[in-house]
Amino acid sequence: MLIDINAYTGHWPFKQLHGNTCDGLLERMKEYGTDLSVITNLHGVFYKNTQSANDELYREVRSKRAFNDRFLPFGIINPIYAGWKDDFNTCVKDYGMKGIRVFPNYHDYTIDDPNLVELVKMARDADVAVALTMRVVDSRQRSWMDLSTEWPMKDYLPLLRAVPDAKFMLLNLGTNMALSDEDVKTIKDGNVLIDTSGRYITHFANYVKRFGKEKFAFGTHFPVLDYYSGLLRIESLRKEEANEEDRELFRHLNVKRFLKL
Amino acid sequence: MNRRNFVRNMAGSASGILLGSGLLQASAAETPAHATAGGSAEARIKKMMSYRKLDAHVHLGLSNDPPELNVDFAERLGIDRMYLSKPVTRGPGAPEDFRACNDVILKAMKKYPNRLSGMLTLNPQFPKESLEEIKRCTGEGMTGIKVYYQVKINDPLFYPIIEKAIALKMIILMHAEASLGIAGYRMKYDQKIKPLVSRPEDFIEAATRYPEAMLQYAHTGGGPDWEYACKALRHHKNVYVDVSGSNNENNMVEFAVKTLGVERVLFGSDNMYYQSVGKIMDARLTEEDKKKIFFDNYNNILKKGGHHVD
Repeated sequence: MLIDINAYTGHWPFKQLHGNTCDGLLERMKEYGTDLSVITNLHGVFYKNTQSANDELYREVRSKRAFNDRFLPFGIINPIYAGWKDDFNTCVKDYGMKGIRVFPNYHDYTIDDPNLVELVKMARDADVAVALTMRVVDSRQRSWMDLSTEWPMKDYLPLLRAVPDAKFMLLNLGTNMALSDEDVKTIKDGNVLIDTSGRYITHFANYVKRFGKEKFAFGTHFPVLDYYSGLLRIESLRKEEANEEDRELFRHLNVKRFLKL
Repeated sequence: MNRRNFVRNMAGSASGILLGSGLLQASAAETPAHATAGGSAEARIKKMMSYRKLDAHVHLGLSNDPPELNVDFAERLGIDRMYLSKPVTRGPGAPEDFRACNDVILKAMKKYPNRLSGMLTLNPQFPKESLEEIKRCTGEGMTGIKVYYQVKINDPLFYPIIEKAIALKMIILMHAEASLGIAGYRMKYDQKIKPLVSRPEDFIEAATRYPEAMLQYAHTGGGPDWEYACKALRHHKNVYVDVSGSNNENNMVEFAVKTLGVERVLFGSDNMYYQSVGKIMDARLTEEDKKKIFFDNYNNILKKGGHHVD
């Protein structure tokens, strides 16, 4: 079995995406034998009222049996916008979502914003994952209208320390990975799942050694990135680097445990 | 409401929707461990390894990684041969600097002759020493020239280097960028980066002056706005692009092929091995196109100078 923990539908305003619909994603999933995908609506990065994007995604996923069976939608919550608690409850209680994503850099609040901390505590209490995306696109080729700075991974870690018993997904490790020993300990000690899509995973076996084999799961960051590279990191491991049981952890067992699927 | 009650109530009140659960229940019993309906890991790896590959942009000595890491990834991902270089990335780039860089490559070539080839580096600000270095390094079997940002590719200082490369039928791989605030592109976003770096417009000027030269625009995945670069270079047939680099955005390779024609698109890793192979494997291109990008196009370039594989 194969589960992708980092995929999107929707548009990116500064560049045409391809395969950026539920049908487009499903086509790639069939091609690669992916059974389930965690999916988020990119529109929620840009809508001020992110719940509109969550509603769009929910309706689309519910529109076809194939989508409903194979997508695990995560809503985007903006904890400094009116009604965010209602949005969270709608996503979790009504829509049955098992995780949410937050974009503090795009939504212009700090990682220690009290509302964000409260949201993460609500997620913890609901046993819902909080996904932190290191970056959506490569800032080196950004649009002049896009964010000019990226957050290195260490800038996200205060949130993990603020609510250490919450569960976090760290996605697309594409920004600076310089970490102190304390930072590494925060990740290793936390209930953390990291996807395999990010460019800083230059040698996957070394990352597994550094953070632990239970910390990683297949992710694509598709359709922003290509579909295969995150999977190739797993499939090109040598036998002495990962046995078949380890590979199964990366393919699906770690995320099944993490999201209680 | 405490945490346990919240979760229990949530489960009871959620409108019976467990998105994604249908397949999960079915697949747990029916799906083989790593061979789902769309293809198995083994079949994918076998397919990936079946493509012969020449890495047209890869380095040694820019980090602490030894050549054994290059060889490891070459074997891991089925790369027949890597064309290594070590450009001068810091300091003045004096002759002793670029000679030392080339010595690192020569040593690796000798250690792994069946897997590693070399591209020499130089600094056109030192024309005499640079031409001497071309002679020395090609005499040792190097097959191309790689330069970083000491001099723009359209600078008159580069002319004798380009002319020598034409005579030797060798390609010049030039570091390139097309990002906001770099080297004259929308400088109100100035990032204080390398004013002498070569932009697509600089390649165009050099390519127009020397239509018989072979110029390689470095790493469309290495940071530049790849749509900008490909569109700018479209009509200049003697400029090739390699799609190496850490950025593996979906559609990057397809866009290069559509804009430039498949023969001008080269596989390279820039040491970002997974995504450089992955982005081509995943590209919505024909088998024939992928073979050209991975191997044939660069081999045809090498063939002009008599350095081709096989």
